[in-house]
Amino acid sequence: MLCAPLFRDGVNSMKNRQKIRPWTYSLPALILIGIIVVFPILYTGYISLTNMNLYHWDDYHIIGLENFARALTKVDSGFLGALATTILWTVLNMVIQVVLAFFIALGLNVKGLKLSRFYKTLLMFPWAMPAYISILLWRVGMYNTEFGFLNKVLAALGFEKMNFLSENVPAFISCMVLNLWMALPFMIMMMDSALQSVDKSYYESAKLDGAGFWKQTWYITVPAIRPILIPSVIMTTFTTFKQFDIVYLLTMQKGSLSGATLQTIITYAHQNAFVSNNYGLSSAVSIVIFGFIILFSLFTNRGVKEEA
Amino acid sequence: MRTKKIKHMTGLTILNLFFLILCFLTLIPILYAVSLSLSNGSSGLSSGVSLWPKDATMKNYVAILTEEPFLLWLKNSVILSVGTMILAMGTAITAAYAFSRYRFKGRSGVLKMLLILNAFPQILSMFAIFRLFKTFHLLNSYIGLIIVYAGSMCIFSIWNMKGYFDTIPVEIEEAARIDGASSGQLLIKVVLPLARPAIIVTAVMVLIFVWNEYLFSTTFMMNADSYTLAAGLYQLQSGDYSRSWPLFSAAAILVSIPILIVFFCIQKYMVSGLTAGGVKG
Repeated sequence: MLCAPLFRDGVNSMKNRQKIRPWTYSLPALILIGIIVVFPILYTGYISLTNMNLYHWDDYHIIGLENFARALTKVDSGFLGALATTILWTVLNMVIQVVLAFFIALGLNVKGLKLSRFYKTLLMFPWAMPAYISILLWRVGMYNTEFGFLNKVLAALGFEKMNFLSENVPAFISCMVLNLWMALPFMIMMMDSALQSVDKSYYESAKLDGAGFWKQTWYITVPAIRPILIPSVIMTTFTTFKQFDIVYLLTMQKGSLSGATLQTIITYAHQNAFVSNNYGLSSAVSIVIFGFIILFSLFTNRGVKEEA
Repeated sequence: MRTKKIKHMTGLTILNLFFLILCFLTLIPILYAVSLSLSNGSSGLSSGVSLWPKDATMKNYVAILTEEPFLLWLKNSVILSVGTMILAMGTAITAAYAFSRYRFKGRSGVLKMLLILNAFPQILSMFAIFRLFKTFHLLNSYIGLIIVYAGSMCIFSIWNMKGYFDTIPVEIEEAARIDGASSGQLLIKVVLPLARPAIIVTAVMVLIFVWNEYLFSTTFMMNADSYTLAAGLYQLQSGDYSRSWPLFSAAAILVSIPILIVFFCIQKYMVSGLTAGGVKG
C-alpha cells in the first residue's frame, strides 16, 4: 500500500523527464536561432515603426506606419519600381531557365549519346564555383569595358566596344545572362534525374500509336516529370526572387558604381540600410518583403500538397 | 533500315557537336580566368582574343601567396568555418535528433516555424544584427561572426539531418535501450555512427557556406587583419582592379579549387539535401 504512491511518483517524474528531454536537446539550437534569426526580425519590425536614420541613431522615436506608407504609396521612393523589376526578373529567369534546361536535359538523355556523363560533369562547373567568385570573374573577365572577353570578341569582329553595365536595360540583360549561367546547372540536373525516372514503355506504345517527338514530349514526358520537378522549381523561384549578389556585385559595389540604377527589392532594402542610412524605411521594406515570402510559401505549400 | 541508321548517326553527331559547343561556351568565363591568371601582367590587356596566354607564367600565383596576405585570409577563413561548423553542428545534431525521435507538444509547430524563418533573407535583418552587435561589442570579432553564420545555417542543418534520422529504423535504438544504454550513450554510440554520411555532408555544406560568404564578413569585419578569403578577394578587385586583375584571377582560382573538389565529391548528396531542406514540409 505504501509503495504505490511512491511508485506513481517515480512514473510521473520519468514521464516529465521524457517530456522535457526533447526540449533540452533542442534548446541550444533554438536559443541560437532566437538570437540570430528571430530577434533580428522582430527588431527590424520595431525599427520599421521608428524614424531611425543617420541623424537619429539614438534619439529616434516611434512614428507609426509612416515608413510603410512612404514605401508603398509614393512612387518616388523607388520601392514600387524595384518591386516591378524583381517580378520581371523572377518571371523571365524562371521561364527561360525551365525551358532551356528541359531541352538540354532531353538532349542529354537521347539514346546512344555515349559522352553524356562527360558533358554533364562539364556543365556542372558554374554551379560548383563559389557564387561571388563567378560574379566577380564575370564582372571583370567578361563585361569589363577594356579587356573583358565579350568586348575583345566585339573588337575582333570589328564592332564598337560597349559598356554592358552602364545603362539599365543592358545591365538587366547582363545580370540575367549571368544568373542563367549560374542557375542552369542545377535545373539541368533536376530535369535530368526526373527524365530518367520516366517509364520507357510509355514511349514504345506511343510510337506504335504513331505519336511523333513533340506529341510524345507534350503528352508523356511533361506530365510525368512535372510532379517531381515542382519542389525544385519552387525553390529556384525563391532563390531567384531573393537574388542579391549578382545585381549588387555587378553594378553597385561601394566606390565603383557602374552607372546603371537597377534595383531589386532586396538591393533596395540593403541600399537604404547601408548606403543612404534610411534605417526606418529599409526595415519597413524588409518586413513587406518577408510578408510576400510568407504568403508565397503558404500558397505554394498548399499547391504542392494538392499536386502530390 | 539502313537509311534510318544513318539518320540516327547524323542526329547523334549533330547532338555531340551541339554539346561540345555548349560545354565550351559554358566554360569560357572559367578558362579565360585561368588564362589571365597565367598571363604576364600586361598581356591580359592586349587586344587579341585567345584563351591561352602567349608566355604562360606562374608568377601571379607566387605573388598572391607571397606579396598579398593570402595566407592570413586563409587562416581567418579556416578559423571561421571550423568555429561555425562546431557551433552549428553541435547545436543542430541534438535538435535534429529530438525532432526526429520524440513526439512532443509544439513539435510540428516549431518545425513549420523554422521553415518559414528560413525563408527570410538574412540580408534584410543584417542592419538589426549590426546594431545589436555594435551594442554588445561583437563587431570585428571572430565570435560574433561565428554566431551569425551558425545561426544562419542552424535551421538548414536541423532539417537536413532530421530527414536522415527519420530514415534510420527505431528498432536499432530500442535494442540498444533494452541492453541498458542511457539516452546520451544512445545518441553518441548508436545514432551518430549510423547518421555519419548525413552529418558529414551537412558539415561540409556549412563549411562551403562560410567559405563563400562575403557580405557579412565585409560588413562586420572592418580591420584588414581579420579579412577572410572572400573579403580579401573582394578587396583585391574593388581597388584598382585593372592592375591587380591577373592577380585577382589567380587568387580566385586558388580559392575555387578546393570547393570544386569538394563539390564533385558530394554532388549526389547536394541534390537530396537541398530539396529536403528547402521546400518539403
